[in-house]
Amino acid sequence: MGDVVKNIDNAFIYIIGISVVLLTGITFTMIFFTVKYRRSKNPEPADIRGNWKLELVWTIIPLLIALSMFYVGWNSYLGLRNVPKGAMEIDVLAMQFSWLFKYPGGRESANLLVVPEGKAVKLTVTSDDVIHSLYIPSFRVKIDAVKGMKTYAWFQAARAGNYDIFCAEYCGLDHSKMSAILRIVKMDEYRRWLEKKN
Amino acid sequence: MSQEPSYLEHTSSLQRRGILSWLLTTDHKRIALMYMWALMFWFTAAVFLGLTMRTELMKAGETLFGAETYNALFTLHGVIMVFLFIIPGIPAIFGNFFIPIQIGAKDVFFPRLNLLTWYLYILGGILAIVSLFVKGLPDTGWTFYVPFSIKTEREISLALIAVFILGMSSMLTGLNFITTIHRLRRREMGWFQIPLFTWSVYASSWVQLLATPIIAMTLLIVVFERFFGAGLFDPSRGGDPLLYQHLFWMYSHPAVYIMILPGMGIISEIFPVFSRKSIFGYKAIVAASMAIAVVGSLVWAHHMFVSGMSDTAILVFSLLTYLVAIPSAVKVFSWVSTMYRGSVQMSPPLLFGLCFVYLFSIGGLTGLVLGSAGTNVHVHDTQFVVAHFHFVMFGGAGFAFFGGLHYWWPKMFGRMYSFKRAYAGIFMLTAGFMLHYMPMFVLGMQGMPRRYYDYLPVYEPGNFLAGIGAYIMAAGIMVIFINLIISLKKGEQAPANPWGGVTLEWQIQSPPTVHNFTADPEIGEYPYDFTRLNKNREKEK
Amino acid sequence: MGTAAVSDSQGSRFGMWLFLYSEIMLFGALFILYAAYFLKYQSGFAAGGSELDLTLGTANTLILLTSSFAVASSLAAVQKGSMKLSGAFLLSAIVLGMVFLGIKYFEWSHKISAGIYPGSAAFKAADPAGHGRIIFYNLYFTMTGIHAVHVTIGLIVLMITFAFTASGRISRDNHALLENAGLYWHLVDILWIFIFPMLYLIA
Ligand code: HEM
Ligand SMILES: [Cu+2]
Repeated sequence: MGDVVKNIDNAFIYIIGISVVLLTGITFTMIFFTVKYRRSKNPEPADIRGNWKLELVWTIIPLLIALSMFYVGWNSYLGLRNVPKGAMEIDVLAMQFSWLFKYPGGRESANLLVVPEGKAVKLTVTSDDVIHSLYIPSFRVKIDAVKGMKTYAWFQAARAGNYDIFCAEYCGLDHSKMSAILRIVKMDEYRRWLEKKN
Repeated sequence: MSQEPSYLEHTSSLQRRGILSWLLTTDHKRIALMYMWALMFWFTAAVFLGLTMRTELMKAGETLFGAETYNALFTLHGVIMVFLFIIPGIPAIFGNFFIPIQIGAKDVFFPRLNLLTWYLYILGGILAIVSLFVKGLPDTGWTFYVPFSIKTEREISLALIAVFILGMSSMLTGLNFITTIHRLRRREMGWFQIPLFTWSVYASSWVQLLATPIIAMTLLIVVFERFFGAGLFDPSRGGDPLLYQHLFWMYSHPAVYIMILPGMGIISEIFPVFSRKSIFGYKAIVAASMAIAVVGSLVWAHHMFVSGMSDTAILVFSLLTYLVAIPSAVKVFSWVSTMYRGSVQMSPPLLFGLCFVYLFSIGGLTGLVLGSAGTNVHVHDTQFVVAHFHFVMFGGAGFAFFGGLHYWWPKMFGRMYSFKRAYAGIFMLTAGFMLHYMPMFVLGMQGMPRRYYDYLPVYEPGNFLAGIGAYIMAAGIMVIFINLIISLKKGEQAPANPWGGVTLEWQIQSPPTVHNFTADPEIGEYPYDFTRLNKNREKEK
Repeated sequence: MGTAAVSDSQGSRFGMWLFLYSEIMLFGALFILYAAYFLKYQSGFAAGGSELDLTLGTANTLILLTSSFAVASSLAAVQKGSMKLSGAFLLSAIVLGMVFLGIKYFEWSHKISAGIYPGSAAFKAADPAGHGRIIFYNLYFTMTGIHAVHVTIGLIVLMITFAFTASGRISRDNHALLENAGLYWHLVDILWIFIFPMLYLIA
């Protein structure tokens, strides 16, 4: 898979990893205090009302951690937005409850997106009615389809195979049936497919 | 202390009897109880709706019912849980009951307005029910996104008006609380002597007052669109659906802080009392509440990272989202440190508090995954989000609600409940909770979108586990409720101060008298000073 | 005991102010919409604005300002103890408010008879080039409509207040209601001062 997907997955690992450490720390401290200072063992509580140094520390350190997460996440997001030059362009029209893909040569296909292996693909997305959202989990790509607006997404069609496309924005009765297949094929197979009549 | 007639027996100054002494009461405590019963009804109803959905989802394919029913179910479940349970919940019950007492007042500042808000709440609920029988079940989800909500043929207008009225009810409650806290506080009580529960409801009341009108107007415009075809949000007539989303989240994001802040207030009361030790960093917690209220009002568009909004906006909103995480983290650290060298007594309220910290931390930390732009794109509008918001709204605000119920129950009703049954209920609820929602994080990462009644077979194991968890959870909730209800009949008499609390509500008898105080309360320099209580206890020995 | 009285006039004024904040936020949502669409459709807004009757709009602005002034004078009169004068001022404020609504009614019906209203046939048939003007008129009807509702509520409150002055329930030492009614009426006025240029003066 492309660098974009790897960067995003790294961002996931980074954020979730730190979160697990923090959660474990908080939970164990909490349980430890509950047991260690239980009333039967510690009938006389201390009178501690705060400690501004400690409070400052646990404000600033989380702030730094949060900012680093923001940075990692933002960087991985840029990959999703910067379409490489020479990407092939496909128009996507969403409607209740199907997807229509329009290829450069004028070929159209419904609920099936065929692209050649190894190419960067730019999808320009719009809707014919309500809001939908084009979601390709395998490529970490999602973008809303809004009537009267053109949005875009891109992905690197890395390895041949079939991938799922879902509608992620609730759009009515058959929202959960509004799926399509992304088929990545070898270049010559793609050419042959493109030439077949509609 | 001899027991005087409580607000439960005494039929207030108007001398009304029977049901009218409740329906026409202006006593903040009776209004709180009326809210409580109504809220319990809605909560139970919505739990059943949720359980029905989970049952359908346990197997791939259509099992019990189809898309139409499922869409109506999540709409109803969401609308009820958000607008009829969790937003009004803690303020309307515990705020009403305990804010006047914690500041040493006889009642709220506008007692009649207080009763009016209850009727608005009931009216909103009734309208929501009526809307079900007009033109088919509403099917937009609780977010009412345009243009779908303009186009759908189901009866949405009534549901929107219901939400409008409910918003007005909770906004006026907020107004009442702010005025009460400003005007009816005892003269001896300065701002930094106010208990943290009152502080946090105060902070959230401001958000309610200033943010609710925005959604009120927005929903009203959607109603206009439906009746007149005004076209303000309709792209085919030049409207911009993204503007709807901005306005919707300008309220609805702050609304999540309206939900969680009062809950945090309850937790801030529970930890000190059961550790017999002052809260760690009182001022930091107050500051954090206000910071959450302010910064939380500026992060709404993090719900819109894939909406087609500009990348600059995404940069700004992602950054602000990370900033609003800090005050919540500070609070978590403060609660845990409160136990350090305390004298910790395990009890149902504290166990709720501990579970709250754990579940709320998971909810908050997964919020970091959603706040980062790159990862948000993948998990936005998937089961990951559904898991995340159940962790914060249910594991957070919901658990705080239950914690508050167990903490203040003896005060409100003068009865003790069985600890054993309470522990059993909490254990089932928490275990079921984890089994229900943890798999949904995984499902979301695997790419299963939300609001799907049917899904690919790969997602079946996760959904099956979640279904089992949901049943365990619901059973836990039942045990908890039954235990509390039994206590009303069979529970032991509760003393005035069963836990050893130091805020004012523990200085008066359980249940309180109509005017709360029979003698002037003692207001300490510092609201969480346990030293005197501890010394007294020593003397008694 | 050390608590303040359960109800004091300072407190109810405080509550009134809070309520006014929330009203401002209510219109704030409309102003946000207006700003966003104005940036998108400047020429359409100018076209729509030029079709409104500036004379009537200006007249209405003056009427509401005068009415607001009358309420303020009514309060001043009460504070001096002259109940008759106060009642007269209040009554003239009410009459002026009604005139405002009358003119508004005239303007609306004029537009509606010309086929300009939300969801009209002409609006439904318009092509994208005409969208700006349509949005302008939709905002015009929404904003003036919701403002008119507020004027109506304000009038009802003023009438109740007037009845109370007449019956003597409002007096020199007890005029919190008049004060709060006045505050509300000023809000209605101020909102109009914002709405007026947005709609009538952008041409
Ligand atoms: C036993 C308890 C509960 C169960 C079984 C449950 C189950 C569910 C399920 C299955 C969904 C639909 C997910 C989807 O398909 O997208 C859902 C959505 C939702 N739940 Fe719950 N839930 C429970 C408690 C709660 C609580 C306590 C709250 C709030 C305090 C809550 C708030 C919501 C909201 C706001 C939605 C979104 C509705 C929408 O998509 O429009 N739930 N819940
Ligand atoms: Cu769709």
